[in-house]
Amino acid sequence: MLRAAPRRTRRAARYRQTVVAYALLAPSLVGVLGFLLAPVVIVIVLSLFDWKLLATPEFVGLANYRKLLTDGDVWHSMLVTLYYVLICVPGTTILSLLLALLVDRKLRWMKYFRALLVIPWMATPVALGLVWTWIFDPGRGALNQFLGLFGIAGPAWLSSPLLAMPSVAAVHIWQFAGYNMLFFLAGLQNIPQSLREASSLDGASSAKHFFTITLPLLRPTMLFVLITNVIGSFQAFDTIFVMTEGGPGDSTEVATYLIYDEAFRKFDFGYASTISVLLFAVVLIATISQFVYFERRTTYEVSG
Amino acid sequence: MKLRSFTYAVLVVGCAFAIFPYFLTVLTAFKGPGQLSETLPWEPGLPPSVAAFDRLFGSGFGGYLVNTALVTAGITLGQVVFAILAAYAFARLPFPGRDVLFWVYLSTLMVPPVVTMIPLYLMMQKLGLVDTWAGLMLPTMLGTPYAIFLLRQFFRSIPVELEDAARIDGAGRVRTLVSIVLPLSRPILVTVTTLAVVANWNSFLWPLIITSSEDKRLLSVGIALFKSEIGVDYNAVMAGSLIALVPLLVLFIVFQRFIVRSVAVTGLK
Repeated sequence: MLRAAPRRTRRAARYRQTVVAYALLAPSLVGVLGFLLAPVVIVIVLSLFDWKLLATPEFVGLANYRKLLTDGDVWHSMLVTLYYVLICVPGTTILSLLLALLVDRKLRWMKYFRALLVIPWMATPVALGLVWTWIFDPGRGALNQFLGLFGIAGPAWLSSPLLAMPSVAAVHIWQFAGYNMLFFLAGLQNIPQSLREASSLDGASSAKHFFTITLPLLRPTMLFVLITNVIGSFQAFDTIFVMTEGGPGDSTEVATYLIYDEAFRKFDFGYASTISVLLFAVVLIATISQFVYFERRTTYEVSG
Repeated sequence: MKLRSFTYAVLVVGCAFAIFPYFLTVLTAFKGPGQLSETLPWEPGLPPSVAAFDRLFGSGFGGYLVNTALVTAGITLGQVVFAILAAYAFARLPFPGRDVLFWVYLSTLMVPPVVTMIPLYLMMQKLGLVDTWAGLMLPTMLGTPYAIFLLRQFFRSIPVELEDAARIDGAGRVRTLVSIVLPLSRPILVTVTTLAVVANWNSFLWPLIITSSEDKRLLSVGIALFKSEIGVDYNAVMAGSLIALVPLLVLFIVFQRFIVRSVAVTGLK
């Protein structure tokens, strides 16, 4: 047994431990504070400036925000982003949960099926965006060729203002359903075996079992999947960049694309920063409200 | 019995759907010079050809590939090592400010990269790092809250007693970490590394903004530019996409079982 050390040595030990801890943290502190948090502060400051390429930054207070309020393009792009999120998040979540239920069985070849379903997630988004562009091509694309087999004349998916967004969102769902399936699969496998078996006893009550037992127990996984997907789909950029470039018209011009456009094509750093702040605020509200909603409904769970 | 065949049927269709674009990619990438890129990819005809790959590598793709491999390796190594150090401090060392800092780290997960893009670009400009390797790698290399979070959860699940024994024998913190904790953490390390490799290999927006010279171009940017630079040479684009995918595919197939297990262990509370 160790004897109790004198007070002074204990304090010295605690001091040493703090030094060690901060030494271990040092690189990530530079990264997190310097390259993630500081930029957020800077972007807020920049949003108060009028700053175009080569010009001297000029403090304009809330002028950018006043412009923002009446800027139809910005609000349009926020709505477009919201539309995208509202297709992608439920689509990905439901599909990945269904896939997880499907592969959560001890059957032959199951691990190969799981692996195949995750493959879309590894796609280099830019590259696969181009493949999908081609699949959606109205004349020679695989999709319309396929529809043609049934005598259906497929539409021009990506050049129709109405269909472009759902098409791009479908690619997002395709890409992330298998990846999110992994988290639901892990969640399902964490459910105690005794509770799991009940569902296989009789088919009639399996739906009820799912909604009353499985789904509530999956709530932590659900929260994780929902939040990461909401954050992820608010940030969608790569696929849209190669598939539609925000078009046709501005029907797929999501907020990230608008910000990129304002900052790195029009070089209007000040105004682009203002839109960034707006986007950040929206993501923040969306994330926090999910936490609050789940927190309120998850009463039985004691986190360990 | 009926349920089982139903499961298989749905899985086969689902998997076919998941890999169909890759199927197109392969067929198109190996299409012969006699077949136009405009025609259907599965049109039977000439034998496979590597002409598209020749065109691809003729226009600098080999360089992008090497760049991407080196940059991915460098960033991933940094991310994983620094995340291990931070996660260990959060998991095991009581120090003033720990909880606050941990929440700060977690909250940065909510920051969309595009929001930090402008300030980061201006910072790199101030530091003279625009269009340099350092400028490309530094911002993503140091702090990855996601990896830190996953590793911390895992480290906390390892019994403290194992470490205490080593510490009583006189091993320091870093020694304990390297010789006791890390060997026990193999599944989560593999997972975190795989996630980092996929993200870094595929990253697009930051490389697009921060680099401009061709000798520093990465795969993603290269493929996106092929679209405009050589017209839409779909065959070459598909050949490039195929090459971009293969390393990730191999990585995932090798480490699949670790990934599912570690996701289960960390529990994702």
